Amino acid sequence: MILTIPKLFVQKSRVFVSRYLALFILLGLSLISIYYFWYYLQNGLGLSYNDARSHLDIGRRVVEGLKPGLAQLGSVWLPLNHMLMIPLIWNDWMWHTGFAGAVWNMLSFVGTGLVIYKYLEKLKVGILGRVVAVAVFAANVNVLYLQSTAMTEPLLLFTMTMSCYYLLTWHQNEGVLSLIKSALWVMLATLVRYDGWFLLGVAGLLVLRHSWVTGKNLNNWKKRFSRMEGITVLFSTLAVIGVVGWFIWNLLIFKDPLYFMLGEFSAHAQQLVMEAAGALPTKHDLLLSIKVYFYSFFYSSYTYPAILAIIAYVYMWRDKTLSLETRWASLSLWAPLVFNILALYLGFSVIYVQGISGDTWFNIRYGVMLAPTVAIMIGYLVGRAKDFRPLIIGSLLFVLFFAFANQDAVSIDDATVGSSQKNVSEVSGYLYSNAKDLPGYILISAASHDAIIFSSGLPMKKYIHEGTGKYWESATTTPDHWARWIIMRTYDDADLTWRAVSRTPGFANYTRVAAYPFADIYELKPEFLDRLQTEAVIKDNK
Amino acid sequence: MLKNNLLKIIGYALFSMIVAAVLTLSLRGLPGTPNSVEINTPEWKEDGPFELSPERGRYALTYSLIEDKSFFFSTPLARFTTPDLGYKNGHYVSLFAPGISYLTGVGYYIGRQFGNAQIGTVTVVAIFALCNMWLLIYIIRKLGLHPMTAIIASLVFLFATPSFAYAVTLYQHHISTFLILCALALAINFNSWLALFFVWFLCAMSIPVDYPNLFLMAPIGFFALGKIIYFRQKNQSKLVISLPKVFTFLGLVLPLSFFLWFNQSSYNNPLQFSGTVPSVHDIDESGNPAPEKTADKENIEKYLNPDLQKKTTLTFFKPRNLVNGLYIHLLSPDRGIIYFTPVLLFGIFGAYFLYKKNPKITILLLSIIMLDILLYSMWGDPWGGWAFGSRYLIPAYAILTIFIAAFLDHYRKNIFMLVLFLTVASYCVYINTAGALSSSANPPKVQVLYLESLSGHQERYSFDRNLEYLQLGSSKSYAFQVWASKYMSAWEYFQVIYSAIFAILSFAIIALYLNKRGDKI
Repeated sequence: MILTIPKLFVQKSRVFVSRYLALFILLGLSLISIYYFWYYLQNGLGLSYNDARSHLDIGRRVVEGLKPGLAQLGSVWLPLNHMLMIPLIWNDWMWHTGFAGAVWNMLSFVGTGLVIYKYLEKLKVGILGRVVAVAVFAANVNVLYLQSTAMTEPLLLFTMTMSCYYLLTWHQNEGVLSLIKSALWVMLATLVRYDGWFLLGVAGLLVLRHSWVTGKNLNNWKKRFSRMEGITVLFSTLAVIGVVGWFIWNLLIFKDPLYFMLGEFSAHAQQLVMEAAGALPTKHDLLLSIKVYFYSFFYSSYTYPAILAIIAYVYMWRDKTLSLETRWASLSLWAPLVFNILALYLGFSVIYVQGISGDTWFNIRYGVMLAPTVAIMIGYLVGRAKDFRPLIIGSLLFVLFFAFANQDAVSIDDATVGSSQKNVSEVSGYLYSNAKDLPGYILISAASHDAIIFSSGLPMKKYIHEGTGKYWESATTTPDHWARWIIMRTYDDADLTWRAVSRTPGFANYTRVAAYPFADIYELKPEFLDRLQTEAVIKDNK
Repeated sequence: MLKNNLLKIIGYALFSMIVAAVLTLSLRGLPGTPNSVEINTPEWKEDGPFELSPERGRYALTYSLIEDKSFFFSTPLARFTTPDLGYKNGHYVSLFAPGISYLTGVGYYIGRQFGNAQIGTVTVVAIFALCNMWLLIYIIRKLGLHPMTAIIASLVFLFATPSFAYAVTLYQHHISTFLILCALALAINFNSWLALFFVWFLCAMSIPVDYPNLFLMAPIGFFALGKIIYFRQKNQSKLVISLPKVFTFLGLVLPLSFFLWFNQSSYNNPLQFSGTVPSVHDIDESGNPAPEKTADKENIEKYLNPDLQKKTTLTFFKPRNLVNGLYIHLLSPDRGIIYFTPVLLFGIFGAYFLYKKNPKITILLLSIIMLDILLYSMWGDPWGGWAFGSRYLIPAYAILTIFIAAFLDHYRKNIFMLVLFLTVASYCVYINTAGALSSSANPPKVQVLYLESLSGHQERYSFDRNLEYLQLGSSKSYAFQVWASKYMSAWEYFQVIYSAIFAILSFAIIALYLNKRGDKI
């Protein structure tokens, strides 16, 4: 039986696909994104990461609490995710489902998929290669999980990939607009995670190099240098605004431009504690740093796609159909690999891989930073190695089938059984049952127990924490006048509440009513309730 | 012409006889036909031919079907099969796919007539190994490569890879490889409906032999499907569906019916896979399921009531295992190709040469290799339990030797490459002959410390364990135990067998070099 496909139909189909495929991808990714948000919301995994709950609380404190305002953005994390939450986080449902944070990640997921598609277009990869690349990105359960939470990684992936895309465009066409767009996106990336800062450096060097190389037609060195200088300054002026702004923010709010780096709650401070406890094994050990990050990278991308991506990149450098400048621009895609290894080596970051460094997971999700890179490289390989398409696509389908069948995602393990999770349901459940309908504030350190605040389901204005200004100062001096309940880790001076309250005379007026693994609950004795302040009476709380 | 053909036939017959003789001298076994009580003695188990549970499980089913006429194991037979024993509806059943037990049943039956049921059973596997050699020669010749490269490549597959050890014991790998090579030979050389019918027949038949064969057969299946439905693009695009060939799918019916019938009879569920049946690791004195001595207390109830166990086929394979799995199969000293059969690495270059000549077939062959490596790297136990080398990759070894033929074909006049190849190949033959003549009970490296704490002496986990075994004077070869041990030590026996293989291989390589380019042998 022979079915003849009319020529006109084939031609029209080609036109239709090339015109509307991006739209179909947009629709498809949007549906996948919504489904998975709903899926992880239903099974309760969407808020498993302790950090996801903290991010949502930070956003919420800007609009609600005893001292709302932008200063609540703090210094622990870069601010863009929390700023984006502000328009939605006022709504209790959006706060407690995590949607206020996840929605930006969902958009980022869809956006990253589209940028991968567009990036490959610039590499002259055909439709099949582009579609496979988007599928590889979207079929990663780690990515699907993270886009369904209020974590920061998907937004970073989007902003970084956008920046890389415009950097590539600029390398190809030298249009000023592309350069400015690249600078804009890298600036946004610098406001999401510090990985963006490294990309800023890499992109800056690539701009410097490209503008020097392409200036070789100028007849004297001075002009060539001036041109390079001009282009680099143009790029940098916009690209570094985020970084400079962050220094200024820290100076204004915390009176120290390096507070985010060296402050009490900075990652650096945490890592010093870990180092003292011997829990920072990668520091000053380059081989172990490489090994640990490669495990994280391989686990987060199911190993086989990652291996294919590396092969593809080696092949790309031998591909004479791509201009040398295009190949140089593609280097920026690998910036997260170098950044994460360096961060581990310098002790700025920590990743625990079960069986390699310790017996738990911690930050294993960082490997996902290379998910768009892996997708782009595989798309490129499918585009170029035409004979090998059945092999590449078939074997990828094979591995991804088992990944889906087993819901194999290290980022979920990281969130549910690793060090990143905190099952605070006992403490938060106690508060919900006992404090919800009674007047009085709860004194707690948000730096230590944000997950409890989130999980309790109580309004933010019920809590006195270190970001509530005079309420905090008063409550940590005379707790029995301000706090009906105190949540803290007994005998742990790392807990700000314990450090302050345990030394006050008023602390004697409390009874420990419950003790749990992550915190204990103290309640004011009934005989002292008459002098307890239960209303927000401080007017000038700056 | 007639003389040439006659000489060729004599040459091939002589070659086959020599290979068959080497395999026969290496077969592992003991004289006798043990009953279900005798078979539980260490002489037959740990110290004998049934040292590991995969061999015991398959032999037990053959025994049960022939001697007891039952799908369910008697208590002594169940005890023999532990720790890989199934339990369903109050009966002890097989935890392994049934195909091998049925196929080797003929050997058991004939062997029993001569008072040697065990050796009869294992001989069937060796015959399949010999057939694999022939299939490889056939495929390589059909690819247009020099005939002598086909001889060398088939020798490499049989004697220079861990497949040697599994050609002389009761494992599924050679039979799986046979089905894959058969289907491959049919798919790439024939276009008739009969050939396609048998391709589907072999694909379906491979499933009851070993379930993962379903995946390894997939590339061949798709290749064959491309002969039934395909696009033709000249002036116009045409989708061609060959209706008569659609009926070749009927080839699937018989093997699948057998498979469903066996599952229904054994597990009372036609869709129940053997591997997903609840497992019993030990049996107490009164014949009831019992926990292993090392079992964790939390799961003790699941050992006592196996029906509480929940198993699904898909959860056996996880992409997360790939990092470790790839290391174990490719690089590790306890199983890795690089230690046990580095000669296969020449195949990588061969793949390139064959790709230049025949890209379509090369991609098909690479697909089978890739799926084999990926599948078993995702498997939770990439070591294959206690085993010699990476036994799961035996089908991939077979395909890689096709690439080796392409490598040799390319370099057949390059004396440096041939000497290098012979050197590496002779190392591989040495190691794998030691594996075949000794034991497959090599523990994974991760268990060694625990084992040393029990035994109080150094426990080796790589091929040095097999060399040590032979040096200590033991061999599991039937011929050695029955006859040769009167004249020589196990180590000397090993040297004799190794020298014989080395001599054949060297002769073949010299013949390849001396043969004029393009000459037919």
